[in-house]
Amino acid sequence: MNRRDFLQAAGGGLGGLALSTMLMEGGLASTHHPARARRVIQIFCPGGLSHLDTFDYKPELQRRAGQPFDPDGTLQFFASKPGNCQPSHWPFQQHGESGLWMSDLFPKLSTCVDDMAFIYSMQSKTALHGPACFMMNTGFTLPGFPSMGAWVTYGLGSEAENLPAFVVLPDPRGLPPGGIINWGAGFLPAVHQATTFNTSAGTQPIADLFPPEEYANASSDRAGLDFLQQLNRLHHEERPANNELEARIHAYEMAARLQVSAPEVTDLSGESQAIHELYNIEHPEIGPFGRQCLQARRLAERGVRFVQLYCGAENTTAKKIRPNWDSHEDLVRDHGYWGAVLDAGASALLKDLKSRGMLDDTLVICTTEFGRQPGAQGKEGKGRDHNAGAFTAWMAGGGIRGGVGYGATDDLGFAAVEHPSYCYDLHATALQLLGLDHTRLTYYHNGIQRRLTDVHGHVIEEILA
Amino acid sequence: MRSSARLVIWFTMLLAWPVVAQQLCAEQPVDFQSQVAPLIVEHCIRCHSAGIDKGDISLATAEDLVSGGHVVPGEPENSYLLDLISVAEDQTADMPKEGPPLSVAQVELIRRWIAEGAKWPENLVLREKSRADETWWAFQSLAEVQPPAVASLPEAWSHNPVDRFIYAELAKRNLSPSRPASRRELIRRLSFDLHGLPPGPDDVSAFVSDTDPDAYIKLVDRMLASPRYGERYARHWLDIAHYADTHGFERDQRRNNAWRYRDYVISSLNSDKPYDRFLQEQIAGDVLWDSDEALVATGFLAAGPWDFVGQVEARSDVLRRSARALDLDDMVTQVITSTMAMTVNCARCHDHKLDPITQQEYYQLWAVFAGVNRGDRKLGESKLNELQARRSQIRTEIDRLSPGLDLADIVGGGDGRGRGKVGAGLDPRTGKPSSGPMGYLSDIQVNTFAASENRFVDGVFVPQSTKDQAGISISSTGLVLAQLTGADGKAWDAIRNGPVNSQHSPILSEVDFTANGQRLLGLHANAGITFDLAEVRKELGKPLLRLTTQVGYFGHLNESSFADARVLLDGQVAAEFLKLKRADGLQDVDLAIPESVRFLTLLSTDGGNGIGMDQIGFGNLRIKSDEASQSEEQRQRLRELQQDKAELDSQIAAIGTSKVYSIVPVESPPEVRVLRRGDPESQVGEPLAPGGLSALGMLNCDFGTTDMPEGERRAALARWITDPGNPLTSRVIVNRLWHWHFGQGIVDTPSDFGYGGGRPSHPELLDWLAAELRRQNGSLKAMHRLILSSAAYQQSSLASPENPALQSDSDNRLLWRQNAHRIEAEAIRDAVLSVSGKLNLQAGGPGFEDFQYQEAYAPIYTYITADKPELWRRSVYRYIVRTTPDQFLATLDCPDPANMTPARLTTTTPLQSLALYNNAFMLQQAQYFADRLVSEVGDEPPKQVQRAFLLAFGRLPATQEEQLAVRFIEQEGLFAFCRSVFNANEFVYVD
Repeated sequence: MNRRDFLQAAGGGLGGLALSTMLMEGGLASTHHPARARRVIQIFCPGGLSHLDTFDYKPELQRRAGQPFDPDGTLQFFASKPGNCQPSHWPFQQHGESGLWMSDLFPKLSTCVDDMAFIYSMQSKTALHGPACFMMNTGFTLPGFPSMGAWVTYGLGSEAENLPAFVVLPDPRGLPPGGIINWGAGFLPAVHQATTFNTSAGTQPIADLFPPEEYANASSDRAGLDFLQQLNRLHHEERPANNELEARIHAYEMAARLQVSAPEVTDLSGESQAIHELYNIEHPEIGPFGRQCLQARRLAERGVRFVQLYCGAENTTAKKIRPNWDSHEDLVRDHGYWGAVLDAGASALLKDLKSRGMLDDTLVICTTEFGRQPGAQGKEGKGRDHNAGAFTAWMAGGGIRGGVGYGATDDLGFAAVEHPSYCYDLHATALQLLGLDHTRLTYYHNGIQRRLTDVHGHVIEEILA
Repeated sequence: MRSSARLVIWFTMLLAWPVVAQQLCAEQPVDFQSQVAPLIVEHCIRCHSAGIDKGDISLATAEDLVSGGHVVPGEPENSYLLDLISVAEDQTADMPKEGPPLSVAQVELIRRWIAEGAKWPENLVLREKSRADETWWAFQSLAEVQPPAVASLPEAWSHNPVDRFIYAELAKRNLSPSRPASRRELIRRLSFDLHGLPPGPDDVSAFVSDTDPDAYIKLVDRMLASPRYGERYARHWLDIAHYADTHGFERDQRRNNAWRYRDYVISSLNSDKPYDRFLQEQIAGDVLWDSDEALVATGFLAAGPWDFVGQVEARSDVLRRSARALDLDDMVTQVITSTMAMTVNCARCHDHKLDPITQQEYYQLWAVFAGVNRGDRKLGESKLNELQARRSQIRTEIDRLSPGLDLADIVGGGDGRGRGKVGAGLDPRTGKPSSGPMGYLSDIQVNTFAASENRFVDGVFVPQSTKDQAGISISSTGLVLAQLTGADGKAWDAIRNGPVNSQHSPILSEVDFTANGQRLLGLHANAGITFDLAEVRKELGKPLLRLTTQVGYFGHLNESSFADARVLLDGQVAAEFLKLKRADGLQDVDLAIPESVRFLTLLSTDGGNGIGMDQIGFGNLRIKSDEASQSEEQRQRLRELQQDKAELDSQIAAIGTSKVYSIVPVESPPEVRVLRRGDPESQVGEPLAPGGLSALGMLNCDFGTTDMPEGERRAALARWITDPGNPLTSRVIVNRLWHWHFGQGIVDTPSDFGYGGGRPSHPELLDWLAAELRRQNGSLKAMHRLILSSAAYQQSSLASPENPALQSDSDNRLLWRQNAHRIEAEAIRDAVLSVSGKLNLQAGGPGFEDFQYQEAYAPIYTYITADKPELWRRSVYRYIVRTTPDQFLATLDCPDPANMTPARLTTTTPLQSLALYNNAFMLQQAQYFADRLVSEVGDEPPKQVQRAFLLAFGRLPATQEEQLAVRFIEQEGLFAFCRSVFNANEFVYVD
């Protein structure tokens, strides 16, 4: 085992600053060019956020309201044949100095438009939730590939002294479609997989951070650890050439530090009343996501490289409200609910980051796996089916030029026609801002030097500051 | 099959050309092939050729160039290509985007070529040559190798041929092997290697004190003979097969019958099944052998993830094709990388850039699997068919001795004794005779009884499920069927004496019902026919009747193709077969009909999925007098036959309904063409016949034609892979064995023997081992024994920091020592259970579920602490969930079963420390470990420490360790001590 292997084995997140500095000698954790962003906070809205009711203003759809969307009856969507043209369920207004359009679903977020860049021409290769979520997170529709967070950690290491480099905050309601594979390390070493933080109040933030209550005994924990390390050192003395053993001794010390730092970062009691109100922490419906957003800011503040938070959980057929954005039967009901959640949390996050001066070097990304159809779905026409041909993603901070839109869909918002873009382009752009060339961030696996962007990807220069 | 009309020219990118271009004199016309083509190949083809065509430009053929408007022959000024490659003042050329621009002279050459008419030889296609061609080492036949003669070979290294190869390389670099490991080290190493478990203290002391000079090899043999061996090595193979017990993807539903394949792998390894047979069974066992074991083996092909939503639920054909494309890619990739370590998947969108594998060859492999779907497959099918065929023979014999009335004959207008017309029938709407084919019926009055003029037939009706109180009228006397499910009131064709119109096949369970002596009453859903038994009794002259028939579904073989069949006596269900499928074979019916019953009704309904192909048939349907007036001899023979039949009945019943999650083939596979850029919506070219990789020139890579039946395709692939002349297959498996024993292979990328993979550290040894596997007739155990008995394997793994090899061969590629390693996630869990005394060695069967399962659109799997014996089984018997992996094991580097994993990665993270130190399972087991120590050696800490070290580390503590540990137990207690032992480096590392 050479030095770099040792560092990699010992690395991952904790003790990362020194570690990433050392790794630069090995050429792994150095940036390819100067970085504009030092960290990423990504909001993922699983289920398929409708671009037509939120960001992508389509007056022509309004004009054609009620006319058949597909008069020839040739189209077949994921679950239905298209109904009539259905304009946005919320009116659109222009906002900010840029005059970009946003619907009334987002009264708070619309005040941030001048910090946001919109990619109106996003597309996916599939209209199935599982594969599309995988694609947006990993660049591939198959499970088993490393997620963007894992790639970034692999490329840049960590800045956090006592926290993991890549943290995921799932929706408290459950996992997104496809499960935890969405933030897996795939074939990258497991040190690059995300650590899941539970954001619900009153629970351990990380699995096994402390023993279960019936075994709780802090002094014995520490004594046992000291004894363990004595055994380990005696064992290591006879095997001095084996660095892995040393790395493992080190890992137990880092674990002990994590027991201090993780509860600290998840404890929101030190935040001011104004912050609690900004993020709506106490609100029964929108509070949990506000808590995730605040948590994300606190993690970013402490040098965590990549935080991903989910606004929505696994897909199920609706009872009252769908647990994510997948609005087949009643878009007003489901997007109405989730819109309020995203609006409050995301706007609070952007404003908070900005007021702390963190937005300059924190890249905020908001994505979904695909968009929704301009033709209505269902007998009453209240829903929208999946649309892999068009959706909107937005980015802010970290070297992004605010108040711009890139690409466009057709008049009805059915398909991206101007600068059609895939997740590859979004990923390439994010990596670019982090100082990484997406074509050079590679890892050998089963015959191929793999990349987050596969063999695709163009940096979207038009949205860079 | 292959388009030989097209002339394909391969150029290597490395051909240095530019110099020549500058030396040309202007008068000579430009020669495309020698002057222009190399420029295009060097600068353009990598990005602009079929399948890659970035910017929708291909420079692979003349048509591509001209049709895109990039070249106008004779008009360089109008040829856009020149603008792209020219360097204008103060600017860079637009093309090539990657790499240096063309020189002025090169651009001028292309200008002249265009000016001279842009001549391009007909049918010439330019391709980028892959880095490796068919001369690549891995494609060569096994070299005939003898173990090298080495001067001054140490005695210990002179016994095993393997050692000669290793020692020779070490000697070349002036490196020395390490000292032999101690017996304690060896038994712990062997035990984790072969069983994935720590050795028991008694085994350790017996081996350490054994004076037999053959003690080591005898230990190896004992361990190889243990069933624990198969459990351990199956885990390696299941990694390669990316096996799990759920589908994965969005809905991640259960595969409750997948475990039979896992058990197949375990038992095949334990029984030392020859490796070629092992592979053949997994690829085409259902075709090549008539056994359940071989059928279960094909679970291999279905082991990976499968997108239920994309393949079944999605209504869009585009989405379905896209999901199916992922499915076929997964199957092809798994089979070829696992057996031959060729990364064929890289040729999905374009020709392989590194290895000589064309995109067309990749899709020819698709054609092998084009007819293969994943799904549950019934076991015992062939046995069932055979038993049913025998029963049918007996039935025919019984019918000959005791003929009774043939009801199919009656439907055909006869008298029940063979005078009816085969093919004739009755219209189910009217009861009137019908001779010609009828097809889909309109003007149906559902649930209305239509009387027949036939003496024996009371009448007919077309049933439709109804809640109407009137019910379904089924006789002339007003008998009513109050409730009936699964009938939509639509109907097809007549009730026939013989097969119905468009009969899929009259053959079922190997019985051809159109053959001589066989009769079939064809009854397509939805239709019913009622016979008047009063007339039958008159004809036969006896009051007591007996009905015998064999009912079956004669539509096609498919999980979703079925229909319902019922026999009613006076409106009461006497026999009922719901959702009857072809796979169910023939159902034997033998009913005594009491004197009181007047009406016999036969009913065929759609079963709730419409009348797609709902072909119910009643074979040899006869009504007899219960006691025939035959001779004593005949009666005796009849009794014997009845007895034989009863015996067969019970055998058939015993086969039951066991299933395995494996493959469900379709008889005629859909066509496969090359997909441009791998896009399922962009088919190009002609349909492809199944085939292998032509780079293996010693084998015939043509498997057959485009109309080859499904099974033969896989059989051909299995034969090609296991052909004794195929050098990859045997190299790959011996390298895997080497990798599992030494922690790294002779080729350190066990599933990639191509240009992108590693090069063999000991190529001769690799070939010698591959040939040895053949000499040992494919016995993996013989190969284990050979490798394990080498001095190389038995070396110590320790190195002093001063050892020069740490510098000159830091990766230990030359094996100057054994590799120490941390044990895998599953081995850690199993070792904990073993040492705590709680390991449950129950082998085989459905996996244990250490989670709560909650049925939902996407089922929810919530992990629980494994706190009872049924959850303390070996980890290989875990029920593996794809979307929700066991977080404890995943933290310890257990790989995601979405990936084929040829080599486990080992990381060291603080999260692992937390999991091992704080997880409830670990703490409970530490408590059991403490309880075990007390019960085995009592309350004295020194004895407890000694016993704990023996159990956990296979050795006694050193004085200093014992003192430390005793003091710790006195302060913090035995539980805390056991917890620390489970976390010790020595517990999870093997020297």
